Amino acid sequence: MANSNLPRRIIKETQRLLSEPAPGISASPSEDNMRYFNVMVLGPTQSPYEGGVFKLELFLPEEYPMAAPKVRFLTKIYHPNIDKLGRICLDILKDKWSPALQIRTVLLSIQALLSAPNPDDPLSENIAKHWKANEVEAVETAKEWTRLYASGA
Amino acid sequence: MDSEDDMHDANDLESLDDDFYSGETGMGSDDGDGDYEFGNNASDDSDDGNLNRQQENYTVLSEDDIRQRQEEDITRISTVLSIERDHACILLRHYKWDVDKVHEAWFANEESVRQTVGLYENPVARTFSRELLCGICFERHPCDRMCAASCGHFFCYSCWRGYVSTSINDGPGCLMLRCPDPPCGAIIGQNMINLLASNEDKEKYSRYILRSYIEDNITSKWCPAPGCEYAVDFVMGSVNFDVSCNCSHNFCWNCTEEAHRPVDCTMVAKWILKNSAESENMNWILANSKPCPKCKRPIEKNQGCMHITCTPPCKFEFCWLCLGAWTDHGERTGGFYACNRYETAKQEGEYDEAERRREMAKNSLERYTHYYERWATNQSSRQKALQDLQNMQNVQLDKLSDTQSQPESQMKFITEAWLQIVECRRVLKWTYAYGYYLPENEHGKRQFFEYLQGEAESGLERLHQCAEKELQTFIDSSGPSKDFNDFRTKLAGLTSVTRNYFENLVRALETGLNDVGESGNQPTCSRSSSIKSGKGKNGKTRTIGGTTSRSLDDGNHSHWSCESCTFANTKSSMVCQVCHRRR
Ligand SMILES: [Zn+2]
Ligand SMILES: [Zn+2]
Ligand SMILES: [Zn+2]
Ligand SMILES: [Zn+2]
Ligand SMILES: [Zn+2]
Ligand SMILES: [Zn+2]
Ligand SMILES: [Zn+2]
Repeated sequence: MANSNLPRRIIKETQRLLSEPAPGISASPSEDNMRYFNVMVLGPTQSPYEGGVFKLELFLPEEYPMAAPKVRFLTKIYHPNIDKLGRICLDILKDKWSPALQIRTVLLSIQALLSAPNPDDPLSENIAKHWKANEVEAVETAKEWTRLYASGA
Repeated sequence: MDSEDDMHDANDLESLDDDFYSGETGMGSDDGDGDYEFGNNASDDSDDGNLNRQQENYTVLSEDDIRQRQEEDITRISTVLSIERDHACILLRHYKWDVDKVHEAWFANEESVRQTVGLYENPVARTFSRELLCGICFERHPCDRMCAASCGHFFCYSCWRGYVSTSINDGPGCLMLRCPDPPCGAIIGQNMINLLASNEDKEKYSRYILRSYIEDNITSKWCPAPGCEYAVDFVMGSVNFDVSCNCSHNFCWNCTEEAHRPVDCTMVAKWILKNSAESENMNWILANSKPCPKCKRPIEKNQGCMHITCTPPCKFEFCWLCLGAWTDHGERTGGFYACNRYETAKQEGEYDEAERRREMAKNSLERYTHYYERWATNQSSRQKALQDLQNMQNVQLDKLSDTQSQPESQMKFITEAWLQIVECRRVLKWTYAYGYYLPENEHGKRQFFEYLQGEAESGLERLHQCAEKELQTFIDSSGPSKDFNDFRTKLAGLTSVTRNYFENLVRALETGLNDVGESGNQPTCSRSSSIKSGKGKNGKTRTIGGTTSRSLDDGNHSHWSCESCTFANTKSSMVCQVCHRRR
């Protein structure tokens, strides 16, 4: 039903995501809703998330691509720009969204965010404080959480 | 030496005074400078009856005025910089409509301005093919179905329309809309919007541009009155923030609260906060009903002035604020008008009478209650006066000119009286906030303040009563009355006397009550008989302050100046009339 009048752009993007996946990222549309994607992001090397497999959900709203996709982490993650509901603080998902961006660029940006946490623009106040006060310890916690929750069971 | 300096100062102050008063000293400022002379202004067409008579330091702008100014600014920039109007508008928006800043920045470094603003001279992307892929819908389109901003990034019309419409419907941020290509900062101007947007969106966009001219410009603000569409452009650096909008709303340009001269913005904010914190305790004040102090029946206040007469058979005349007999008020008994004073009220035990007030005292709200009640009552009294003024202008003056067989042009003194009442109620109201915050241990200041406030208030009560009640008898009368001309003289006289009292009060408060001695502000000799009689066409003899007192001081030594509060007392009194200090 929801898929009957899917814009060509979404179809093309989906085809390309499946045929040429970005390294460390997989995104596949749900069978009953082509606007809903199951996403996996591998923790980038040399980040506290290395070795983890993080599940996310991505939804393309009716206004897409004029409005940004809605993305959220399903896997628990210790990161200053991601809150405990998995919501992500990323400018291109908000005011910096442009219709010329794509699902692929969004997921690559999220991957980059895992490599470079930004405690100065926090979503999770406590984690950001921790990060600023004692980065070594915070990174340890992030590694610990990755082992606990993202070990790709 | 000393005395010469004093002389000099005195003269300076005198000429200062002349801006506010009639120059009755004959110092030569009477003619030519356009300052009005109080007492003669009752039928002067040019007077607005306002306390603010200085040069206006603001301009009220209608929507047409705003558009015109905006167009003029755009034209100036477009001409001087030799750029398109569309681009001039973009630059002005970026620099908050500051024409000088645009000039300055542009001529300092045009290239850097173009980069920051996103106004590119040469497209960064160029293409010569006939068909292009649109980066939004991922379809190929012939080039003539596509367009680009100054950067040359092409997208199809359909995607542009979606892009522009989404942005416009997101709010005023659309004025900063940039090319959809992610790292590109090329700005989208109104020309492109007009090419791509629906009529409804174009209208919205142009309203945003109009609004930005007021909201982004540091010298202008919208009038805060609900539904009012005027804006006010302010001359920055002016001391007086009170502005009067064409919708008749008076407000403070600085804090956008209602006009509150002579009280400053900080005190107003504090007072408003206090009021909202205490609002539950103060509801009974706003209920506008009190028991008659004599027969105890509930009396509702449905008039502006504070002189209340209980319904028959009681007919007791009392003061709404202090519940004392009206006969004890002001001039008639020769005593001080004191119902503005908290201490007096407390001493006389009025606050112990009512149960509620005792409760208030318990909660240490008693003092606040005193000031709040007077503040709130003057507020509602002003509201009432505004209605009466309108009713006067729309209905009553016409009727009056019929019954008195006098042209309506002869009735201007009535409008002026009402304008004065409205303005004075506003000032008086705020002086109660001032009184509340005036430190209790500053006895000299407090006494001086309460004296001036009392004078002003009692003058205003006389004026209000005259305009409200005495006037009614002439409106109701069946034919011309021979007393009408006397009434005119009386009302016009009261108007100018009251204006004078209030000017004194305002000035004293604005100088922090500091110049008690020097400026000639002191209420010397104010209690002249002509106030009572209301006679004397031009009322010049009853000036308070400045010149009269000085001439008395200097001349016949009939007064002595109190060392503590500087009040000029008559020779005969051995104790200061204001602060009771011995001579
Ligand atoms: Zn561009
Ligand atoms: Zn397109
Ligand atoms: Zn207005
Ligand atoms: Zn203010
Ligand atoms: Zn009564
Ligand atoms: Zn009273
Ligand atoms: Zn004294």
